[in-house]
Amino acid sequence: MPSLTPDGIPRSQQAISVLWPSFIVAIVASGVFFSAFDPRDLIPFNLDIDISPVAAYSIGFLLFWLLALLSSFGTLYFTISNCRFLNKQGD
Amino acid sequence: MATTEAPPGEPVLYEAHKKIYPREVSGYFTRLRVISLVTLLGIYYITPLLQWDGRQAILFDLPARKFYLFGLTLWPQDFIYLAALLILAGLALFFFTAMLGRVWCGYACPQTVWTEAYLWMERKIEGTHNQRKKLDKAPTSAAKIRIKALKHTVWIAFSLWTGFTFVAYFTPIDELAAELLSLSLGPWETFWILFYSFATYGNAGFMREQVCKYMCPYARFQSAMFDSDTLIVAYHPERGEQRGSRRRGVEPATVGLGDCIDCNVCVQVCPTGIDIRDGLQYECIACSACIDACDEIMDKMSYPRGLIRYTTENSAIGKGQKILRPRIMVYAAILLLLSGLLVTHVAQRVALDLDVIRDRNTLYRETPEGLIENVYTLKILNMDSKPHRYTLWAEGIDGLKLVSDQPEIEVEEGSVFEMVVRLQADEYNLEARSVEVNFHLQAQDSNHLNASREARFVGPGSS
Repeated sequence: MPSLTPDGIPRSQQAISVLWPSFIVAIVASGVFFSAFDPRDLIPFNLDIDISPVAAYSIGFLLFWLLALLSSFGTLYFTISNCRFLNKQGD
Repeated sequence: MATTEAPPGEPVLYEAHKKIYPREVSGYFTRLRVISLVTLLGIYYITPLLQWDGRQAILFDLPARKFYLFGLTLWPQDFIYLAALLILAGLALFFFTAMLGRVWCGYACPQTVWTEAYLWMERKIEGTHNQRKKLDKAPTSAAKIRIKALKHTVWIAFSLWTGFTFVAYFTPIDELAAELLSLSLGPWETFWILFYSFATYGNAGFMREQVCKYMCPYARFQSAMFDSDTLIVAYHPERGEQRGSRRRGVEPATVGLGDCIDCNVCVQVCPTGIDIRDGLQYECIACSACIDACDEIMDKMSYPRGLIRYTTENSAIGKGQKILRPRIMVYAAILLLLSGLLVTHVAQRVALDLDVIRDRNTLYRETPEGLIENVYTLKILNMDSKPHRYTLWAEGIDGLKLVSDQPEIEVEEGSVFEMVVRLQADEYNLEARSVEVNFHLQAQDSNHLNASREARFVGPGSS
């Protein structure tokens, strides 16, 4: 029975398989989100935050990326740990 | 399971990555490819420099939430056009893939374009593929460090220029250049220039074909759009086999061999490091380098060209080429229909928007002349690229009067104008407590620019 473990895949490939799809998702998400909402309207009135639009869009994008990153990382983590578990059972 | 071991000094990116040193190639398709790559690079670097009506021709002005596209100014509410454009791009990819195979990968994909540019710089500095291989194997020496340092300096400079150009699509390039020269770049502009530069440097300098092989979604699903009449780069095994070396000028049949002299040049020129003679592979980006390389060898051997050539699965087995097939026609029809719709829609787009908000504090009031008066706040959005003067009127009630403190309504390009207007009507002309009225706005210099909005006019009631 061939090994189910994707552990043979180098760390860097695992990193890219998390970073890359989440990056694409972050682009789409920020495009849709910011065409509907102006970041200036999102700051509550009682908060006096002086933030440039470019900074607001950038932070928004990075937050979307972080969010998608967590999801991608979850997928990778469960895949790897499941494979380890199933391989152990198969022994 | 064996984990892959990388040669010392080479970062492991994917399975047993062997650095590929594509051999230099020349010929018809290579020239075609160079023309395409240089044109696309030129478009990328020159576009932010173009001016239109005193501003940058193409600019995603994020702070102002506007997108300038030559004479057209798009607003967030025009997002639908961007979505339509993306759908069209997707369909076009389907159409061209079904017809021409992976022509996008070989001739137009940014990954290919920048990889070739970086490879060109590498060639100019480190020499031919054999010299490069030798240099990488050579022990560290002053000369090696000098050559490598020069290459990376040139690469990084080119990357920074690429990153700068990228940010110039979002921040006007003259402002950006002035900020850069006075060393007063904003932190986020700096971040994005460095981010994009680093991505370019990594993708085009190091990752190269690995992006196509392991990261590109299109490479994975493009085969689903293929059929037996799709253009592919293929080796002609019936003609080539039995492959084997022989002296120049030998008739293949006399030595019991096919036309392939097994010189391996097709493998050496391949930027993804595959052997096209093994058949169609997903790693093949259809760059056609092997076609030119093989044709050159065939010329030297005085054999006919085309042992590796552009062909289709059907014509390879002698079934003939069929260009107009149902799949192509359906893709083409949908593509034409959608692009037609988009173009008409954009052409008929009215660059004017009118919003009417009734004053909620008072229902109505009576003027000294005994007329019923309602107050409205109007928001006029001029989405056009030049200022306009507008005429405003309202109708819906007999003898309706529009009173405003603004004698002229002039709105600058791309801005919102807010004004308060009062509507006055005689109570006897009101048919109900609340009557529908319509505001109309018309640009004085263009019949096409008009907008209407309905509102309610409230009176004491007819009872």
